[in-house]
Amino acid sequence: MRNRTARRGIWFGLAFSLLLAPGTAIAQDGSPGITTPTVFPPFKADAPTCHTPAGLTRTLGYVQENDREFLEGVNLGLSTAARDRGLAYQRVLANSDAQQAADELQAFLAAKTGAVVATSSDPDVVRHGIQQIIWSGGFVGTIVPPPATLLLNAPQYETGKVLADTAIAYINSKLGGKAIVVLLTQDSMQYLTPRFEAMRHELGQLPGVTIVADIAPNPVTKEGGFATMNTVLTATPNVDVVLGADSVVLGALQALRAAGKDRPDQFLGGIDGEPEAVAEIKTGDGPYKASIALSSAVFGYAMGQSAADWLDGKSVPQAMDALPIALSKDNLAQYAADQANPGAVYADPARRDVYIKRYGNICYDTRDQYVNFPWSSEAN
Amino acid sequence: MPISSRSVMQSTFVFLVIGLVALLSIVATTFWLGERAQGYFNLAVEARDTRGAAVDLRNSMQTAEASQRGFLLTGNEIYLSPYDTAKTEGQRKLATLRQLLAPYPEAAVPVQRLTSLLADKFDELDQTITLKRARHDDEALAIMRTNKGKAISDEANVFFSGIVKFADDRLTAGVEEQRTNAGLLRLVSAIGGLVIIAVVGGAAFVLLRYTRELRMTRDEVNALNAELEQRVSERTVDLVASRDRAQVLLSEVNHRVANSLALVSSLVGLQSKAISDKAAKDALAETQDRIFAISLVHKRLYSSNDVRVVTLDEYLKGLLDHLQTSMRGDGQSTVLRYDLAPVQLGTDASINLGVVVTEWVTNAFKYAYPVGTAGEIRVRLRALPEGRAELVVEDDGVGRAEGAPAKGTGLGSRIVSAMAQGLGGTIAYEPRTPGTLARAIFAVSGAEDVPQ
Repeated sequence: MRNRTARRGIWFGLAFSLLLAPGTAIAQDGSPGITTPTVFPPFKADAPTCHTPAGLTRTLGYVQENDREFLEGVNLGLSTAARDRGLAYQRVLANSDAQQAADELQAFLAAKTGAVVATSSDPDVVRHGIQQIIWSGGFVGTIVPPPATLLLNAPQYETGKVLADTAIAYINSKLGGKAIVVLLTQDSMQYLTPRFEAMRHELGQLPGVTIVADIAPNPVTKEGGFATMNTVLTATPNVDVVLGADSVVLGALQALRAAGKDRPDQFLGGIDGEPEAVAEIKTGDGPYKASIALSSAVFGYAMGQSAADWLDGKSVPQAMDALPIALSKDNLAQYAADQANPGAVYADPARRDVYIKRYGNICYDTRDQYVNFPWSSEAN
Repeated sequence: MPISSRSVMQSTFVFLVIGLVALLSIVATTFWLGERAQGYFNLAVEARDTRGAAVDLRNSMQTAEASQRGFLLTGNEIYLSPYDTAKTEGQRKLATLRQLLAPYPEAAVPVQRLTSLLADKFDELDQTITLKRARHDDEALAIMRTNKGKAISDEANVFFSGIVKFADDRLTAGVEEQRTNAGLLRLVSAIGGLVIIAVVGGAAFVLLRYTRELRMTRDEVNALNAELEQRVSERTVDLVASRDRAQVLLSEVNHRVANSLALVSSLVGLQSKAISDKAAKDALAETQDRIFAISLVHKRLYSSNDVRVVTLDEYLKGLLDHLQTSMRGDGQSTVLRYDLAPVQLGTDASINLGVVVTEWVTNAFKYAYPVGTAGEIRVRLRALPEGRAELVVEDDGVGRAEGAPAKGTGLGSRIVSAMAQGLGGTIAYEPRTPGTLARAIFAVSGAEDVPQ
């Protein structure tokens, strides 16, 4: 079931299948990389070393799409890793402008920057620039879209499962195994479908759970969540559990409070680790009980370490999962500490494995095997 | 504390009342819960109908949508064959749902919103079907791509779920209430049963305890009776022995007294023979007779079974025979006749009467007939009415002149008077022609005659 849903829910399938279609081929100066879906084995830290990239600077550049806290966490991780490994570090903000991101990549290419990490709202625009850097021998890490020598992905099915399992544990321990559940989905982003597949599947295992609403707020914002929850409350005045993205669940919480239907024993759980959601969790006595977060600082640090290893001629992972962490009032402090000091987490294999999971091996000499397909560890 | 029969009755009555109340409680609770069950049954039927209408309505919507999807994809009208039916059925079920939910104000807004959503949904379906039939596939697809249809379906499903849950909650509440009622009935029945068992047990306990106490009391009474009988028996044996000993002793005493008096009488006789003076000899002879009369009473007593009384006829017969024998020894030829009725008299009174008879008969022998003249002396004893008896001594002799002085020393008259007083009777002397009659009337029965 999981593999089937994962296949269907590969996060960026539609958009990038267009990108990879024969009719859209881009003039390529080097290898196209791995373009067919491939399952990578676990990363081997003791893989043979390679040559060091020739003619490139020991600089780590970061093209940051915008200043969202999540991406700021990546910046922290990258900068810390660069400092720890003696790399020069340079961050540029693209202000959610894909063309600006592409321009920044060209600038890094022109400066013979040895390693670049990029994010972009439009993969088509930045794709060629990324490939040029790879062809030049440089390390490229991307957050979500390919191509990349190290592709970072968030396992969507696992993300939804972690949230559902957290909710189920609460339902069993606090609600006697019975709950009226509202799922606030996201129709506008197909790649997120596995999240809700996982939730439906996990909650379906609990006989006492009744899903009274499986509906997508439009837009996927706090306001959208507020309006949708009001509709749900019209039909079902009392609900026990609300799951969805943090933004819409925060709106649902607002609707519950406005209707006087919020209760301390309710379970509201979101995804994304939004600061407002974290603040709600911190209160400790409200309905908001959990938010699924990806530790951007930790995986950013790991990407920075991999960039340094690449420049040192070492083998690095081809892909990496940013594992979902269910934030609750019990682990918020530890999570914040790990976010603030990602180097310590990376140095401790046990703690590192909580946050990331690495797959495949690649180095300067085998850079033609870079990932150029919508990889997911949940794909089979 | 012992149980009285009254407390047993009261306890039994209380137990019966309690048992009756318990029974009535069970019956009343059963009826009451039965009424409630009927109400919940009606509620359950209504909730089931509501749920069924909501599910059917959703099925109609989904059937219509599937029909539209098939037609849009293939252009084959055959896919639309269930469409109109589903649409009509949907409208009918919606009307049913509105009717069933009309009594519930909280359902008004959801039903209104659901009605609006279904109208939008069928409008969208109709519109796309119309466009497809007009071969405006792009426009139909554009409408599909707005995702409006899915959004409407999602929202409608929210209300379907809400209505189904509303019905399920009522069903669940009804079932829960039924379960509670069944539990309550079981509880009431169990408590009632326990109360009745307790009542029966209590009554049985009281009765058993009362019966046991009765049996114990009866046994105690029997034991006391047996003990009393034993004591009475022993006492009776003791008394019989004492009585026998007293009788033996009394007989012995009487025997000894009689012997002593006979000895005294013999001594007096010897004394009389030893003297020559006739007056003295006569006096001693009279004394000897008086002593004999007394001793004869004691003689009879020690041979008798009852020392309290003396059978006068037997006693007087012996006494008179002795006097006649004694007088004949002195040369008297007077005949003594007696007629004695069987009369019993107390011992002391018998002694007094014996002395009186001795005096009267002796005097008659001495003075009634002149010397050498034969005569008759008659003694009669008869019972009179009212517990009295009469003793008469009479003769046909010379009689007793009125106012004439007493013959002899006059001691005999004084003794008779004294004895008569002790006898408690009356003495009378009546002259006869010829002769004299002496009469004594006395009581022959009564406590005063029986020595204590």
